[in-house]
Amino acid sequence: MDETPGLSDQYRMVSPWPLFVALGLPIAELGLLFGLVPLAVGGLLLFGGSVAGMLRESGYVSTPWRALVAISALTFVVGGALLYADPMTTVSLTLRGYATVAAAVVMLVVGVGGELFAFDTDVAA
Amino acid sequence: MQVTGQLLLTVLMGALLLGVAVFLARVEDWRSYTPLGAGGTAGESGYVSQEKPSGIIRWFTTVDHKDIGLLYGTYALIAFVVGGTMVMLMRAELWTPSNDASLDLLGSATFYNSLLTSHGITMLFLFGTPIIAAFANYLVPLIIDADDMAFPRINAIAFWLLPPGALLIWAGFFPLPDVIPAQTAWTMYTPLSAGVGAGNQSNVGVDLMLLGLHLTGVSATMGAINFIATIFTERSEDVTWANLDIFSWTILTQSGLILFAFPLLGSALVMLLLDRNLGTTFFVVGGGDPILWQHLFWFFGHPEVYILVLPPMGIVSYVLPRFAGRKLFGFKFVVYSTLAIGVLSFGVWAHHMFSTGIDPRLRASFMAVSLAIAIPSAVKTFNWITTMWNGKLRLTTPMLYCIGFVSNFIIGGVTGVFLASVPVDLVLHDTYYVVGHFHYIVMGAITFAGMAGIYYWFPLVTGRWYQRRLAKAHFWLWMVGTNLTFFAMVLLGYGGMPRRYATYLPEFATLHRIATVGAALLFVGGLIFVYNIATSWVEGTRVSSGDPWNLAEKNLNTAEWAWFEQRRETALADGGEEGDAVTDGGKVDADDE
Repeated sequence: MDETPGLSDQYRMVSPWPLFVALGLPIAELGLLFGLVPLAVGGLLLFGGSVAGMLRESGYVSTPWRALVAISALTFVVGGALLYADPMTTVSLTLRGYATVAAAVVMLVVGVGGELFAFDTDVAA
Repeated sequence: MQVTGQLLLTVLMGALLLGVAVFLARVEDWRSYTPLGAGGTAGESGYVSQEKPSGIIRWFTTVDHKDIGLLYGTYALIAFVVGGTMVMLMRAELWTPSNDASLDLLGSATFYNSLLTSHGITMLFLFGTPIIAAFANYLVPLIIDADDMAFPRINAIAFWLLPPGALLIWAGFFPLPDVIPAQTAWTMYTPLSAGVGAGNQSNVGVDLMLLGLHLTGVSATMGAINFIATIFTERSEDVTWANLDIFSWTILTQSGLILFAFPLLGSALVMLLLDRNLGTTFFVVGGGDPILWQHLFWFFGHPEVYILVLPPMGIVSYVLPRFAGRKLFGFKFVVYSTLAIGVLSFGVWAHHMFSTGIDPRLRASFMAVSLAIAIPSAVKTFNWITTMWNGKLRLTTPMLYCIGFVSNFIIGGVTGVFLASVPVDLVLHDTYYVVGHFHYIVMGAITFAGMAGIYYWFPLVTGRWYQRRLAKAHFWLWMVGTNLTFFAMVLLGYGGMPRRYATYLPEFATLHRIATVGAALLFVGGLIFVYNIATSWVEGTRVSSGDPWNLAEKNLNTAEWAWFEQRRETALADGGEEGDAVTDGGKVDADDE
C-alpha cells in the first residue's frame, strides 16, 4: 500500500471516492431490483466509476481508464447472465439485463475514450 | 404517466451524476495544491500540518479512522434517538389495554406493528453495530499503535453505506405514495415477509427495508475484514498476541463472527427479495420451505447477539479494572472465554426454533450447546467480580456503568439459561419473558457498556470533561428505568402476555404501566445524556493533564492515553491551539487556554 494514502500531499487523510462508491451501490440495487432503468444504469456508472477512481488514487492502477474497462467487462458478464437467465424465469429480466449491458457499454466507451484522449497529467500517486 | 416517471428519474439521475462529476473535478483540483499555497474553499487551512480540508467537505471525504469513528458514533446516536422515540410511542400506547378495532394513541395496530419492526431493526443494525464500530475505529488503531486502519478507504465506504441503509429501512415512514412501513418484526419470518396471503406485506416498503438491511450487512462485513486485517498486520512491534489488549481481542473475535454470519444474512435477504420480486420459491410452502428462512436467519441471528455483546464485554473488561485499582483478574481466561463464545455461538441457532416442530433430537443437542455457552459467559462475569473484589473502587460514571452492566448481564443471562431449556422455552416462547430477557442484554448490558465507553473516553476524544452530576443522574435513571421496564416484562411473560401485541387483557395493565414508567425514566435519562454530551463537547471544562483519570498512580494507564498525552504536548509545543482540537472535530475557541 501507499505510504501516504490520500488525495494530495497536503490532504493525506481524505478521499472523495468512498462516498460515491457507497452511494452508487444502493442506487444500482434499487434500479435492478425494481427494474428502474435510469437508476440501474446511473447507479452502476457511479459505482463502477468511483471504484476505478479509487483504484487509481490508492495506486493499484496507474490510470483509471483501463480499470474502468475491466469493470465494464465484469458488468457486461452480469448483464449477459441476466439476459441468459431471462427465458427461464417467470418475471421478465430483459429490461434489467439490457440496463446492465448499457452501463457496461458506457463504461467501456468512457474507458477507451479516456485511454486514447485524456491528457497526460502529472500522476502523483 | 409511466413514461413521465421514467423521464423524471432519468433527468434526476443525470443531474446527480453531473453534480458528482463537477464535485470530483473540483476536489481533484486539491491535488495541485502545494502545502503553502493552500486556499480555495478553505479559508483557514493554510497550516502545513493540516491533513484535511475544512468544513463539511472534510467529513464527506475523510478516511482518518478517528473521524470515521466519530461519524459512526454520531450516526449510531441519531439512530438510537430514532429507535428510542419509536419505542416511547409504543410504550405510551401500552399504557391502556385498548381494543383491536382502534388503538387509543396510535390509531391502528398496523402502525404499532410498523414501529415494533423498525424499533428492533434500528436498534440492532443502525445503533448497536455502528456504535461498536465507532469505538473500534477510534480506539483499536490507537491502542495497537497502528497509523490507521489497514484499508482506510474501505473503512469510509463501510460507513457511507449506512446512511442510505437507514433511509431505506425507514422509507415506509416517509410520505411516499403507495409505500407503507414493514410490519414483519425484525426476524422477518416467512411466509409473512414473503408477501404472500391476504396481508399487506407484499408492499414495496418491505423490499426497501430488506435492501437497506442488506446494505448495513455489506457495511458490517467490510468493516470486519478491515479490523481483522488491521489487528493482524498493522500492530506495532511492541504489541504481540501475548499482550494484545482485551478490547482488540473482542473486536477481532467479533469481526470473525461478522465474517461468517453477515454474508449469510445478505444471501438470505437476497433470496427473500427474489422470492418477493422475481418469482423464485425458496421460502414458499410447497416447492420451498418457510422454516428454511428461520434456519438461515438464526444461523446469522444468534451469532449477531454475540457480535453485539462481545465488544461491549471488551469495553467493560478494559474500563472496569481502571477504576477497581487492579489489573483484570484472569486476563487469559477472559480471552479464552471470548474465543469460546465466538465458536459456540454458531451452534445454538435452533434454540430460537424449539416450538416450530423440528426434530426433538435436534432440539436436545441445541439445548445442550445453548446451556454450555453459559459457561464462558459466567467465566467472564466471575472475572469482573473478582477484579473488583478487594479492589479500591472509584465510582466514576464509567465505573457505575460497568457495574450496572455486570448486574444487568447477570439477570439477562440467567433468564436466558432458562429459555435454553426446551420444556421451559415451550411455555415461555413468544411471551414478554423473552422480550424482558433480551432487553436486559441489549439495553441493560450492551448499551450500558457503550455508555461506560462514551463517558470513559469522552476526555480523550474531546479534550474536555462531561458534567459529572448530570452523568450520574443519567446512570441512576437508566439503572432504575432498565430494571423497572424489563423486569416487569419478565413478570408479564410469566403471566402469559404474548409479545408483539398492541393490545392486552386488563389484568396485565399494572405491569404494563410499570414498564411504561420505566421507559419514561429511560427517556428522561436519554435527554440528559444528549444534553450533557452536546454542551460538554462545546464548553465543558478542559482536561488539564494527559492522564485525566489518574491511572498512572496505580500503573493502570493504557496506550490510548499515552497517545492523548503526546498529542497534548505536540499541541502545546505548536502554540497550544491547533491540532489538539482540530483533529477530532472540536472547534478551537479563542478564549480556551
